Amino acid sequence: MNFDISEEQQLLQQSVERFVNENYDLATRRKLVDSPQGYSDDNWSQMAELGWLALPFDESDGGFGGNQIDTMIVMEQFGRGLVVEPYFANIVLGGGILKRSSNDELKTSLLPGIITGDVRLTLAHAEEQSRFDLDDVVTTAREDGDHYVLNGKKSMVPNAATATHVIVSARTGGGQRDKDGIALLLIDSGDLDGNHFPTVDGGRASELSLDNVRVPAERIIGDFNLLATAAHDAVLALSAEALGCMEVLYKSTVDYTQEREQFDHPLSDFQVVQHRMVDMFMEYEQCKSLLYRATLEAVQDAPTAARTSHALKHLIGKSASFIGENAVQLHGGMGMTEELAIGHYFKRLLVIESQFGNTDYHLTQFAD
Amino acid sequence: MEIDLSPEDFEFRQEVRDFLKENTAKPGADYSQWRLDYFKKAAAKGGWDVPKWPVEFGGPGWSPTQHYIWEQETVTASLPWDMPFGIGMLAPILMNYGSKEQIDRFLPDIRERSVNWCQGYSEPGAGSDLASLKTKAVLSDDGTHYTVTGTKVWTTMAHMADWMFCLTRTDDTGIKQEGITFLLIPMKQDGIEVTPIITLGGAHSVNMVHITDVKVPVENRIGEEGKGWTYAKGLLQHERTGLAGISRSIVALENLKRQAQSVSRGNRTLMDDPAFKSKVAELEIDLLAVEFTELRSLAAAASGDDPGPESSILKLKGTEIQQRIQKLTVEAGGIYSAAWGVPVGHKFARSGMQGYLGGRANTIYGGASEVQKDVIAKNVLGLKRS
Repeated sequence: MNFDISEEQQLLQQSVERFVNENYDLATRRKLVDSPQGYSDDNWSQMAELGWLALPFDESDGGFGGNQIDTMIVMEQFGRGLVVEPYFANIVLGGGILKRSSNDELKTSLLPGIITGDVRLTLAHAEEQSRFDLDDVVTTAREDGDHYVLNGKKSMVPNAATATHVIVSARTGGGQRDKDGIALLLIDSGDLDGNHFPTVDGGRASELSLDNVRVPAERIIGDFNLLATAAHDAVLALSAEALGCMEVLYKSTVDYTQEREQFDHPLSDFQVVQHRMVDMFMEYEQCKSLLYRATLEAVQDAPTAARTSHALKHLIGKSASFIGENAVQLHGGMGMTEELAIGHYFKRLLVIESQFGNTDYHLTQFAD
Repeated sequence: MEIDLSPEDFEFRQEVRDFLKENTAKPGADYSQWRLDYFKKAAAKGGWDVPKWPVEFGGPGWSPTQHYIWEQETVTASLPWDMPFGIGMLAPILMNYGSKEQIDRFLPDIRERSVNWCQGYSEPGAGSDLASLKTKAVLSDDGTHYTVTGTKVWTTMAHMADWMFCLTRTDDTGIKQEGITFLLIPMKQDGIEVTPIITLGGAHSVNMVHITDVKVPVENRIGEEGKGWTYAKGLLQHERTGLAGISRSIVALENLKRQAQSVSRGNRTLMDDPAFKSKVAELEIDLLAVEFTELRSLAAAASGDDPGPESSILKLKGTEIQQRIQKLTVEAGGIYSAAWGVPVGHKFARSGMQGYLGGRANTIYGGASEVQKDVIAKNVLGLKRS
């Protein structure tokens, strides 16, 4: 049994850690978040140069042949730095779907651009009535000769404003909650009307309207199974990112309570404070264990992999809430300010809770 | 024991409803004038503008039941905005410890809401441990004024305030609770600098206030020098029970249910989701209990008894319930709770997240929950700590 990462993976980890340390102090991040685009083109180019945008793709496609462990390593460090570049939307979601697609022509035409950072994808799956159910789709794709005509609305699409293409789930047949009859289609973002806005954590999202959008039939990337696999990967990646956030939160709290004095003692002298932080630490470690378990099962394509991923997102949600809320509480008034990093990590965790199923949703999926 | 409303209570409730219907249905075009007019009309009803003030200072002298009715009826009405600092916090201190001149000078403006007050208590180094405050007040040789220098923090609405009631240190030689002096300081003057603090919800309501060499006449001192802690302490207890916000939580829970009914979950609504429904039910059960805890506390206060042990749990339970409602609202918002500052998807999601983030302060201000529990352990359960 071995939980050590390989030498190559260690190098990757160090490289991302260095990038975060050099580029992601809170003031710099704040500037990025406040800029119209919400992230840095320079950082994005740097990520391409460092090969991170090629990470999950097969070597035959010009990639590095990385797996979910590699993505976990990157996302955990991104979580520690609160990185805002659209790696998740582009590489984990868009890239993850594309690399598994049987549409080789699309793959051949798009992958090189993704690896250089010039092609930027995102995934539009959520709708107002769907909540977290991937198979609840009312957006329609009606066949019309060698085209499909799409109509509907998609919600909370990450980084759509800066994407060149959007992968949309739409219904070619079946009832509102049938898994059959769902297709994933690639659409030029210029063909979509978007309402773009910031998210709580300083990210970007969009509401997209599809009004008789004509898409050639060869732009079908895949079906519901591909979407479900993408969601599985998304849960692993977001959980890794959350773990990075939680580590910073519990460690900062341990540091702060040793510095802050009240009643002539550091706060950390008080047993109630100590025990609370022990609980935060335990939650973090449990999440780490389950993240490793779920990630390894996914890599091995174990029959339990999907179920374990539900367990993971549930535990991450519960623990993120506990660690985030208590980090704020133990920082007192200071934890409530925009000035301290604490609140920003907390807000990122809140957004992760809203992505690809919340704590309750995954508990139900796990139990069913 | 009985809890039924008497015929007189029903009559009172109707009178309150009529009054609110007539005077709060819609604000006039000039909001600030409408606001001041509202309080005048409430005053004309015989102290309805200051329900909690004693009769000798113009309060209505209501029974606990009448207070309860007022609370219930006003929580859903659109009353003009009001701040607790003058009416609820400074006024009782003035009544108990202020001189006749001070009462005559300050109380009428407080009652009319024509002057805004803020509370200068917390400091960067004095939060939960308020008594360790360091803002210095030095009495002049001729004994006519203090010179005040220091920094106050988390000062709610300092940027709107005309005056601050302020705890200052006049003596740092003895134990820290002694040597604190209660001063009233005008805000609009040189030497007072108010810096906004933006909190997690993106809101600006709290501030940092730097006070530099500000001269305060001795006439602005409440009571004796060095006794400020005693004056403020009684008030803190009062502030804490007021922070429970139970009637507001009852309304908020009803809103939450309606919101959850508007969210589809499969072919039903979120309110039909067993997990969500049971969380709402647990909240409702806690509210049913805490509502009566508050009534027991009100009844004890009215009979002149010391507030019983039940009153000590109100702030803790009340704020915990507020936060649970806020959290469930975010949960109900689902994917849309992540949107910031724009109305997308479910209409309530935007304010839901803002409320949740801002509400994290509820278990920090007015005595952090951890400190509240220390107080209960010591004062109610009689426990000692080594």
